[in-house]
Amino acid sequence: MSDGGNGETWVLPAGSEGDQARIAAAVSQGDRAAEHAFVERYQPKLRALLLARTRNADVASDLLQDVLIEALCALRRGQLREPSKLTAFVLGIARNLLNSHFRSAAREPDSLELPDDLPDLGAAAARLEDEERESAALRAIASLETVDRTILQMTLIDGLKPGVIAQKLMLKPELVRQRKLRATRRIIDFVRARSQSSHEIHLVTRQKE
Amino acid sequence: MKSCTGTPAELCALPYLEGVLPEHQVELFEAHFFECPICFAYLQDLQAISAALARHPEIPGIKEEKPARRRLLPFPARTWALGAAAAMVLAVAVISFRALHPGQQQAPIALTAPAAPLPAKPTGPTRATSAAPLRPSQLADLALPPFVAPNLRGAQEDTRFESGMNDYENGDCRGAVAELSSVPARSEDARAARFYCAACEMRLGNLTEAAADMGKVATDGDAPQQESALYYEAQIALAADRPATAHRYLMRTIALEGDLEQKARDEDRRVQEMLNESPGESREKPESIAR
Repeated sequence: MSDGGNGETWVLPAGSEGDQARIAAAVSQGDRAAEHAFVERYQPKLRALLLARTRNADVASDLLQDVLIEALCALRRGQLREPSKLTAFVLGIARNLLNSHFRSAAREPDSLELPDDLPDLGAAAARLEDEERESAALRAIASLETVDRTILQMTLIDGLKPGVIAQKLMLKPELVRQRKLRATRRIIDFVRARSQSSHEIHLVTRQKE
Repeated sequence: MKSCTGTPAELCALPYLEGVLPEHQVELFEAHFFECPICFAYLQDLQAISAALARHPEIPGIKEEKPARRRLLPFPARTWALGAAAAMVLAVAVISFRALHPGQQQAPIALTAPAAPLPAKPTGPTRATSAAPLRPSQLADLALPPFVAPNLRGAQEDTRFESGMNDYENGDCRGAVAELSSVPARSEDARAARFYCAACEMRLGNLTEAAADMGKVATDGDAPQQESALYYEAQIALAADRPATAHRYLMRTIALEGDLEQKARDEDRRVQEMLNESPGESREKPESIAR
């Protein structure tokens, strides 16, 4: 549980620390299945984090490998003192490597061997999921008003601040902020509704089978 | 224990992706979405939207409506209208010239001479008006940029900024520098003050100070003056006969795709011609102007 800084408490799912401890303990004992579980659990989240921080898919992909390798190697050597803090440990490694990357002095990970059967980081299922999500996002974007699309484009792709967008579009900054939030909410709702309905379709198909 | 309903992601995911979330909140949010599937899904959706926007900029209405460049007339009317206007201006100029100088033979026109009138410059060289080889400094446009009042104002305008800009608009560069350089760094006008102060220093011929201040404005992130600061850094480099440095700044100006893009492109073409003609120019000796 953590505080979001606005007086609201952010609730974490129960049992999370127990899961972390189990995975950490198993990896330190050389359990290859636990290594798979570790990668499956952290890889998508690390990818999201690295992509958000670097804004570069190639760099994020390289760093993702480095973080996973460094974390697994450290876990194998039993370097995690509090197994229930596995997530914090992984985050710490990710931030260290990001800092090194940004200082243009990226450290090479230890030359320890990787398990041969480490899950494919670019697994086909994950890619398919990404493509489906992106395709739903594309339809959602197409449903927006042009101004809202432009604001989102300028925000998320061009990295412009509301003040600058406001100047370019000759709108008030407050209006840009409002439209940006409204467009984001609408688009997320659209993507979610679509993914829920597609999930339901999958379930119905399975039941029929 | 009740489960998360996605509020953290709704509050933080967009600013997180924009890179504007404070660092301590970034760390909290990352720690949260690593364990919260609802917030993580929200973040993934938002990243998918970013990816879709990045990979498909051709979605109708996105690129063509980006109003960074304001057009005088819509295409195709623009092309012929501008062409016709240019032809008329040329015809009037030729007729007037012949009327004023009936017996005089027409002098050869220097292709490198600028068509537009030159801005007045108290110091430094002017642009070329003959066919002699141009020096980079002759390309430098050191005219004061027009004051664009910010429309992002939330609080009261700083009185020193206001007074400095009055001096600026009256062409009193020394007065403007004195006022603008006293605007406190925490003021919301600080960045604009630094930019216009740099413009005045540039106009006064204090190129090193001007370059330093323009550089700070240009590297200070998104700001209405960022593009102009890069453009004027290029002009300062040209004034210091540093075409290779100017080329770099012009490229950065062009990359911003703003109002100065075309102007920078035109100038960069001429700078590159210069660099090609005398490659030695590209090996500039280090000095304080170039950062």
